[in-house]
Amino acid sequence: MTTIAQAGRKSTEPLRPEPATVLEVIQETPNIRTLRLAFDDPSVMEAFSFLPGQIGQLSVLGAGESTFAISSAPSGSGSFEFSIMKAGVVTGAIHELAAGDRTAVRAPMGCGFPTDEWKGKNIVLVAGGIGMAPLRSLLFHLLDNRGDYGELTLVYGARTPADLCYEAGRADWQQRSGLDFTATIDAACEGWDGCVGLVPNVLEERGPSPENSVAVTCGPPIMIRFTLQSLSKMGFREEQIYTTLERRMKCGIGICGRCNLGPKYVCTDGPVFSLQELRELPEEL
Amino acid sequence: MTKIIKNDNIARLLEQLAEDAEVWAPRELAGTGTAIFERWQNGVAVDLEHITSISAKDVVLPRTEKLFDFNYAFGDPVPGENIEIVAAVTAPATVLFGARACDAKALTVLDALFDNPESESYNDPNYQARRRALTVITLACTTADAACFCSSFGEGPAGKAGSDLILYPLEGGYLAEAVTARGESILDAATRFFEESNAEPPQLAETATVEGLDGLQQQLPAIFKDLDFWNEITATCISCGFCSHGCPTCYCFNIHDEMSGDRKGERLRSWDACMFYVYTQEASGHNPRPTQAHRYRNRINHKFSYYPVNQGETLCTGCGRCIRGCPTNLDIREVLRAAKARAVETELMADGGKAETDK
Ligand SMILES: Cc1cc2nc3c(=O)[nH]c(=O)nc-3n(C[C@H](O)[C@H](O)[C@H](O)COP(=O)(O)OP(=O)(O)OC[C@H]3O[C@@H](n4cnc5c(N)ncnc54)[C@H](O)[C@@H]3O)c2cc1C
Ligand code: SF4
Ligand code: SF4
Ligand code: FES
Repeated sequence: MTTIAQAGRKSTEPLRPEPATVLEVIQETPNIRTLRLAFDDPSVMEAFSFLPGQIGQLSVLGAGESTFAISSAPSGSGSFEFSIMKAGVVTGAIHELAAGDRTAVRAPMGCGFPTDEWKGKNIVLVAGGIGMAPLRSLLFHLLDNRGDYGELTLVYGARTPADLCYEAGRADWQQRSGLDFTATIDAACEGWDGCVGLVPNVLEERGPSPENSVAVTCGPPIMIRFTLQSLSKMGFREEQIYTTLERRMKCGIGICGRCNLGPKYVCTDGPVFSLQELRELPEEL
Repeated sequence: MTKIIKNDNIARLLEQLAEDAEVWAPRELAGTGTAIFERWQNGVAVDLEHITSISAKDVVLPRTEKLFDFNYAFGDPVPGENIEIVAAVTAPATVLFGARACDAKALTVLDALFDNPESESYNDPNYQARRRALTVITLACTTADAACFCSSFGEGPAGKAGSDLILYPLEGGYLAEAVTARGESILDAATRFFEESNAEPPQLAETATVEGLDGLQQQLPAIFKDLDFWNEITATCISCGFCSHGCPTCYCFNIHDEMSGDRKGERLRSWDACMFYVYTQEASGHNPRPTQAHRYRNRINHKFSYYPVNQGETLCTGCGRCIRGCPTNLDIREVLRAAKARAVETELMADGGKAETDK
């Protein structure tokens, strides 16, 4: 079984968050915002590091806390980001935050992508909607360590152009050599002269080779399902495919019992799993 | 070390223990034939006859407990004001009096998860503090009721696991046996209530066992996808969650915030149960365990397969509380027997199929 890289958060009080301040809020789409945050305690901020794919819990004290992928570059720069879709009580409260507001964060948690094992390989990223958040961190890591990896492919889809996140990033990714980036939307619309089509179809058109490659996919369950079919058609084997899973979470440290998939916990054993690992677990998605 | 304590001296012993510790003991719920564990107070009669309907786990895992206080509220009009997060672990010395062997054993099962210094990820400061401040005085059972099946999981009605001191009922009193140094120190400190003795422990209860549970951990996966089976089993279940809340080894919890004024509040954790619909419901509305069958399947698998895989222990002590308390008479022993039989049947069929195609 593949070993997934882990950078543990060791704390004597694992349920107690660390105060943090919102530095910047970016409205990505009508219902997704990216928050750039920093821990208030400079020594905590300095010691903070994470792997792409790891997650954190963001609190709005009084409303509660929720789980999000850390979406910024793991190399760090005195801050980190979450990209948050408005879905309910806590995410609604998060969407009311402005620069200067105080929050509290528990991070990092879980296991990241095994990027060390992937050195020397081509990497194919397939994302839909808010599923781009964990892959964005991974992409930053791959671009920052360009020499360690082969060809990079990214297919990122959303329903409409307005639903695509990371505008500045997309402009940059378009220019990068060695990165085949396609942004796609579901149906043609005015003002969009880019690619039109569902993510799995576009992926098949781009046709990255499975030879010495790994594929990573994250997005809505239905997109993941069809993407897996496409990858398999293209010749990717289960051990070459990775995904990050979602489950309702509370503790984030494997004790509240909420996020298990068989004997594994998504919060500590995941959220990154290879398809091969998932096949060995009870089917309860 | 063994000594004898007479019935009359029990209340006086509790009084003395209560001088330096919180004492928890069973109290009868009048007229119900059952008891609950409660903070003991002078003058309250302890019920050492009936088994409690809900286990003693809230001595170490309270139904609701504070994780920390905070003094900042969403929408604070003073940007830049400091957030203060004040951890709230308080654990006075506590004595659990009149636990049963199944309750005491359950504490050692939970220790593996919540108080395990060897583990990298599992450590819980609140549990640790409470557990380490806890002394357990156990009452060995000389009678069992129709729901007891603790002998299925090892030591049975006088098991020592988790106890500091064990009391064996005798005519007119109890034979007290120290299990740990803490237990001995109680015998030493309260000498005026204990008498030297060479009495023999009484005949203990015989509890029913569920035979042949050994292979269950490996066999449960074979019927995981058999929703027909789980549907049949849970046809009457109403997802009330009693089986989990009454259970000494169920530990799932929820975390939520409560405000107590504009800029103040506390983060709490409370018992939760995988038998509830919303337990796994995601924000998208998707629920990986949408029916009673899915949820009860998880409960059984967690106790008899996942937890043994992860911690090497069964997450059940055979206390029978889920059997006594279920409003629809779901009996976990029958479920285990049925699961075992169905798994064997399924494996035979799978083998048969293989044999067929091999021909
Ligand atoms: C590993 C992981 C990574 C994630 N990454 C991201 C990300 O990068 N970006 C992102 O936008 N999202 C991400 N999510 C999803 C995000 O965590 C959820 O959208 C978020 O938690 C919703 O929180 P909420 O408080 O706004 O919703 P809630 O209002 O809490 O609703 C959540 C669900 O709980 C139910 N519910 C409501 N109240 C209660 C109650 N009192 N008791 C029990 N159930 C209740 C609701 O019916 C609903 O199904 C991720 C999730 C996981 C697990
Ligand atoms: S599952 Fe039932 S019998 Fe087993 S410990 Fe829990 S309440 Fe007792
Ligand atoms: S106690 Fe009985 S009815 Fe209630 S959730 Fe448990 S099995 Fe279902
Ligand atoms: S979130 Fe509590 S066990 Fe995973």
